[in-house]
Amino acid sequence: MNKMLRDKKAIALFMAPALILFTLVLFIPICQSVYYSFCEYDALTPPRFVGLKNYTKLIKDETMRIALKNSVFFMVFSIVSQLLFGLLLAGLLTNIKRGRNLFKNIYYLPCVLSSAALGLLWMFIFSPKLGINQILAMAGIEGPLWLMDTKGAIILPMWVIAFVALWQYVGQSMMLYMAQISGVSTSLYEASYIDGCTRAKTFRYITLPLLRPMMATAMSLNAIGSLKFFDLVFNMTEGGPNHKTEVLATHLYTQGFKFFKYGYASAIGVVLLILCLIVTFLINKFVKVDNYEM
Amino acid sequence: MGGKKVGSTKSKIINVIIYIFLVLMALLYLLPLVWVVLTSVKDDKVLFISPFAMPEKLMFENYSFAWTAGYLGRATLNSAIVCIVTLALSMLVGSMAAFAIGRMRWKFSGIAMTYFLTGMMIPVHCVLIPLFTKFAKVGLSNNLWGLILPYLTFSLPVTIFIMTGFFQGLPNELFESACIDGCSIYKAFTHIALPLSRTGLFVTGLMTFVANWNELLLAMVFISDDTKKTLPVSLSKFVGPYNTNYSQMFAAIVIAIVPTIIVYCMFSNQIVDGLTAGAVKG
Repeated sequence: MNKMLRDKKAIALFMAPALILFTLVLFIPICQSVYYSFCEYDALTPPRFVGLKNYTKLIKDETMRIALKNSVFFMVFSIVSQLLFGLLLAGLLTNIKRGRNLFKNIYYLPCVLSSAALGLLWMFIFSPKLGINQILAMAGIEGPLWLMDTKGAIILPMWVIAFVALWQYVGQSMMLYMAQISGVSTSLYEASYIDGCTRAKTFRYITLPLLRPMMATAMSLNAIGSLKFFDLVFNMTEGGPNHKTEVLATHLYTQGFKFFKYGYASAIGVVLLILCLIVTFLINKFVKVDNYEM
Repeated sequence: MGGKKVGSTKSKIINVIIYIFLVLMALLYLLPLVWVVLTSVKDDKVLFISPFAMPEKLMFENYSFAWTAGYLGRATLNSAIVCIVTLALSMLVGSMAAFAIGRMRWKFSGIAMTYFLTGMMIPVHCVLIPLFTKFAKVGLSNNLWGLILPYLTFSLPVTIFIMTGFFQGLPNELFESACIDGCSIYKAFTHIALPLSRTGLFVTGLMTFVANWNELLLAMVFISDDTKKTLPVSLSKFVGPYNTNYSQMFAAIVIAIVPTIIVYCMFSNQIVDGLTAGAVKG
C-alpha cells in the first residue's frame, strides 16, 4: 500500500501535465510581464531595459489616474453593495416558505450569462433614445444621457455600470450567504426564539456573527472580480466618453493592443496584480475569523 | 390573546411586504430579458415610434442575418469546441495532479499545492502581453488552441483545489483493499478515485465551462480572424457603433444568451448549488 502511494514514477506522471502547463502559461509569463514593465517595448522593437520609466510615466498619466479611481470606486461600491443586498436577499429568502427556489434561481441567472451580452443589453436600456429614456419620455421627462454624462466626481456612467454589475453578480453573494445560513444549526434558532428573540434580532445576533467567515470569502471574490472588471465597461462605454469611464483593465487593453505599448501595458498589469494581492491580504487579515463551531 | 393576534397580523403584513419586494426584484431581472426578446423580432423601423407595442409581424430575418452575417453561428460552434475541449482536459489534468497531491505520499506535495493556489490570485490581464507575443511566435495566435491552453491553465488551480479535497475525503480502506487485490496506482485512480468523486468533477467542470463560455478579453486579444472568434467576441463586434439596425443587434444578443438560459432552466438547482459549492470551496 505504502509502496504504491510512494511510487515516484506515478507521481511524476500525474503531476507533469499540470506543472508544465502552469509553469509555461502562467508562471513564466508573470515573470516576463514584471520584466517587461521595466522595459521600453512595443510591437516593432524588442524589449529594452529602461528601469522605472514606465512607472514614472504611469504616475503622470491622467487616464491612469482616472482608471485607478474608477477601479477603486467599483471595488468599494461592489464590496459594500453586494454585502448589503446579498445579506438582505439571503435573509429574506431564508425566511419565506413558498417560492424560495424560484426567486433564488431568478436572481442567480445573470451570474451564468455572458457579461459581454448583458453589458450590451444594458447599454441599449441606458442609451439616449431607447429603453429607460423612452419610458421617461412617455411621462414627459427628458432622460439624462446615462452613459455619456461627465459631471460630478464620480460621473453618472460609472454609477450606471456599477449598478449593472451589482444586478449581475448579487446572486452570487446571496447564494454564498444562503449556503452558510442553511448550515447554521436549527437548535440555535429554536433556543433564541424560546429566549424571546424577534426574527430581526435573531438575524443580528445569531446569523450575522456566524456569517463572518463567508463575508470574507464573498468580499474577496467581489473585490478581485471588480478590480479585474473588463467586459461590462468595454461593452457599455468602451472607456469613453473621453476616457472618463476607463478602468485598469480597459486601460491596459487600449495601451497594449490598440497602441501596442507592451512595456507600458505590462506596468499597468503589475499595478493591477499588486492591488489584487494587497486587497486579498487585507480582507483575509481583518474580516476572516476562525470558523465557529456550528 | 389580543396581543398575539396583533402580532400575527403584523407578521402577515411583513410577509406581504417581503413578497412584494421579492417580486419587484424578480421583475428587475426578467423584464430586461423579455424586452430584448420582444425587440429582437420587431421591425427596426417601428422601434423608435412605438417602443412598447407588441410586434405586429415577427421578423425572424433579424435572427438569420445575425446568425450568418454576424458570424454568430460559426462563433457558437467555436465557443462550443473551445469550452468542451478545455472542460475535458481540465478535468483530466486537474484531477491527475489533485490525486498525486491529495492521495499519494511525497515530500513536496504541500509546496506543489501552494504553487497552484497562488495561481488563483493572479488576474489573467497580467499574462496577456507575454502570452500574446509568445503565441504569435509559435503560431498559436488565431488558433483555437491558443485559447484552450490559457483557459485550461487558469481553470487548473480551482479544479486541483476542489478535487484534492474530494480525494482526501475518500476512505483509506478502499485503496488498501484495492492494493491487496493487486490493483495498480493507475487503476486505483481511474476505477476508484474518479468514479467516487463525480460530484467534484461536476462542480469543477461547471465552473470551468461557465467561465470560459463567457470569457471576452483573452479571446478578443488572441483571435482576429472572424471565422475563429468565440461567441462573446463576435457578439461584441456585431453589436457596435457601426451597426445601425437595432433589431438585428437585439437578435444577436438573444442568440448569445438563449442557449445558456435554456440549459439553466433545465438544471437550475444543480447549477446554482454546484457553482455555489465551488465558490465556497475555492
